[in-house]
Amino acid sequence: MIRKVLVANRGEIAVRVMRSCRELGIPTVAVYSEADRKAMHVRYADEAVFIGPSPSQESYLVIDKIIAAAKQTGADAIHPGYGFLSENAGFAQRCADEGIIFIGPSPYAINTMGDKITARKTMIAAGVPVVPGTESAITSDEEALAIIERIGVPVMIKASAGGGGKGMRLVKDPKDVLSSLRAARSEARAAFGDDAVYIEKYINSPHHIEYQILGDQHGNIVHLFERECSVQRRHQKVVEETPSPLLTPEVRAEMGRHAVAAAAAVNYYGAGTIEFIVDEQLNYYFLEMNTRLQVEHPITERVVGVDLVKQQINIANGGKLPFRQDDLVQRGHAIECRIYAEDPDRNFMPSPGVIRHITEPLGLGVRHDGYVYEGYEIPMYYDPMISKLVVWGSDRDDAIRRMRRALYEYKITGVKTSIKFLERIMENKAFAEGSYNTHFIEEHLEELTTSRECDRTCEDLAVITAFLDHTNRLAAASVKGPEASPKDSPWKSFGRRNSINRL
Amino acid sequence: MALEVRIGKRLAKVQLLNREGDRMKFEVDGRTYDLDMVEVEPGIWSILYRGKSFNLEIIPGSKPKNYTVNTLFQSYEADIVDAEAKYMEARDKAAFGEASNRILSPMPGKVVRIPVAIGQEVKAGETVIIVSAMKMESEFKAAADGVVREIFVKEGDTVDGNQVLIVIE
Repeated sequence: MIRKVLVANRGEIAVRVMRSCRELGIPTVAVYSEADRKAMHVRYADEAVFIGPSPSQESYLVIDKIIAAAKQTGADAIHPGYGFLSENAGFAQRCADEGIIFIGPSPYAINTMGDKITARKTMIAAGVPVVPGTESAITSDEEALAIIERIGVPVMIKASAGGGGKGMRLVKDPKDVLSSLRAARSEARAAFGDDAVYIEKYINSPHHIEYQILGDQHGNIVHLFERECSVQRRHQKVVEETPSPLLTPEVRAEMGRHAVAAAAAVNYYGAGTIEFIVDEQLNYYFLEMNTRLQVEHPITERVVGVDLVKQQINIANGGKLPFRQDDLVQRGHAIECRIYAEDPDRNFMPSPGVIRHITEPLGLGVRHDGYVYEGYEIPMYYDPMISKLVVWGSDRDDAIRRMRRALYEYKITGVKTSIKFLERIMENKAFAEGSYNTHFIEEHLEELTTSRECDRTCEDLAVITAFLDHTNRLAAASVKGPEASPKDSPWKSFGRRNSINRL
Repeated sequence: MALEVRIGKRLAKVQLLNREGDRMKFEVDGRTYDLDMVEVEPGIWSILYRGKSFNLEIIPGSKPKNYTVNTLFQSYEADIVDAEAKYMEARDKAAFGEASNRILSPMPGKVVRIPVAIGQEVKAGETVIIVSAMKMESEFKAAADGVVREIFVKEGDTVDGNQVLIVIE
C-alpha cells in the first residue's frame, strides 16, 4: 500500500494531486526549484525537497534528483502530474527498478503510444479507426507520391516522434509534396533526432474529442465519456466541455467502445486519454493516446462523479476499479476555461509577474484549481497557466451562463490574463450554439480580441480614475513628510540619540 | 487642480472642479461628470454616474505615473503627463532617440538570441532580438529601416519589463 506520495510536478496540478492525497490520509512530498520556494505546492505539502536551479532541465526533468528526493523522504510512490516526466518511459522504468511505485501506466504502454507510427499500427490491429494514410514510415519519394495519389490532397506529413506541431506539414497541392516531405524530415531530425515521417489525410473542419480511460491491473478498462476540446489556439487548448455538443448518443457509445479497445491493445492500466479527430459527418479517427492525467480532467470528474487522482492511486496500489461501465453516467454539463498569464491584446504575449490582488469566483457549481495567491510572483521559467476555472450546470446553457458569471467575478491584478478573452468566447454566438471546430478562434479572432464598444464615458472614467489615484498618492506622500533618507549619517543619529538620552 | 492624462493616443485634460467626500465633480476635455467614487478594495473603484454602476480597476504600471485601467470590457494604458513626465520624455528622446526606434522588453524574460550587431543595417520587420518567457519565444522586430546603434543586453541575460534593449537609428 502506498504510504507517502512524492509529487514530481509544480503549479496547480501538484496542488490538485496533494488535495486528493490529503483526503486519503496519505502524506505528500513536494519537490521545488530555486524559483519555486514560495510556490503553493511547497506550502501545501507535508514535506518539501529542493532539487536545483529554476530551468526545468536542471530540476523538474532530472530523474536522478527526483528519485533521490523520494529515497531521502521515504516516499514509496511518485505521481508525475502532467508534462515534465509524466510520459517518460525511462522514468517509469527507473521508478520500478528502484522499488518505487510510479502512479501511471507501464513503461511498455508509454513507449508504444509515444511513438506515433507504432501507435498507429497497434490501433489498426485493434480495429480502431485511424486517419487514412500510411501504416509505416515513408521510405522513398515514390512511395509518398503513390500514397498521395491514393488518398488525395490535402494531406498532413507528420514526424513519428512528433508533438507540439513540430515536423508537421500540410500539403494542399500535389506539386508541393516532395519539398514538404524534405522540410518535415529535416525539422523532425532537428527537433527529435529521428527523421521518420508518415502521411495522413488532412481532416478539414475537425473536432478534437477525447475519451477518458481508467484501467486497473486486473484487466478491467472503462471509459468516462468524452471531452470536447476544439477551442484551441496554436494547438493549445483554451476551453473544454463535456458532453460534446456534437456527438449523438449512438456515436458517443461507439467511440467509447473503440476508446476502450485502444487502451486494451496496450494492456493499459492507470488513467489515460484517447484523442480522436472527428469531422462534420461524425466520422472519427484515432489521433493519439496521452498516457497521463490531462489538464482538463476536472470536467470529467464533475460530470461523472469520479475523483481521477484517487482512482490512479487505487490502481497503482493494485486495487480493482470500484465501478463497471454500466455504473457510469454523465450528469449535467461541465465547462473548463484555462486562465493564462498572457496578454490577449498584444498577441497573447506571456505576462509573468507579481499577483497584486486576486478575487477567486465562488458559489454554486464553481471549482477553481489554481496555485497563485496575493504577493506570489509567477516565474518566467514555466507554463503560463495560472488556473483552471471549472463550472457545472444542469445543462449546457446553464453551464455557459454560470461560466460567464464566474469569469465576471474573477479578478486578478498585477499580471495580464486571458479572462477577458474567455468572456468573449462565452458571449460568442457560434460557441453558444455549439457549432464550432478547431478553427473557431482563428475564424472569430477579430471579434474575440476587440473590446466591446463603449462610448467615451468609459474612457473618460478611466482618465478620472487615473487622475484621482495619482492625486491621492501625491496627497499621501505630502502628509508623510520628508522620509528619513537612508544616506543619513550614522554619526548624526548617534549624536541625536545621545542628546535625547542626556535629557 | 488640472492635469493631462495620455490614454491610448488621446491626450485628455482633466480637472477636479469640486469635491465633497466621495461626491466629486470633474471636467474632462470640456465634459463635466458628477460622480460618486469609492475605492472599495485596493485598486478597485466603484463609480456611480447618472445612476449607473461602474467598476474600474487601476493597476500601477512598472513606471511611476503609468497605469493600466480596466473597465468591465476595456483595458486602457494611461500616463499622467505632468511637468516632470514631459521633462523625462524630452531627456529619453535626447538619449535614445525617438520612442519608435527603441526596442523595449514588454515583459520580464531571458534573452535567447540577438541576431544583429552594433553598426549593422536592419530593415523594417527584421528580427533584432528574441526574448523567452514561460516556454514561449517572442521575436522583436525593427519598426523601420535603420542602423543598430546600441545593444544594452547580451544573450542569456535576464531582463525586466520595459527595459531598453536595443536602439536603432
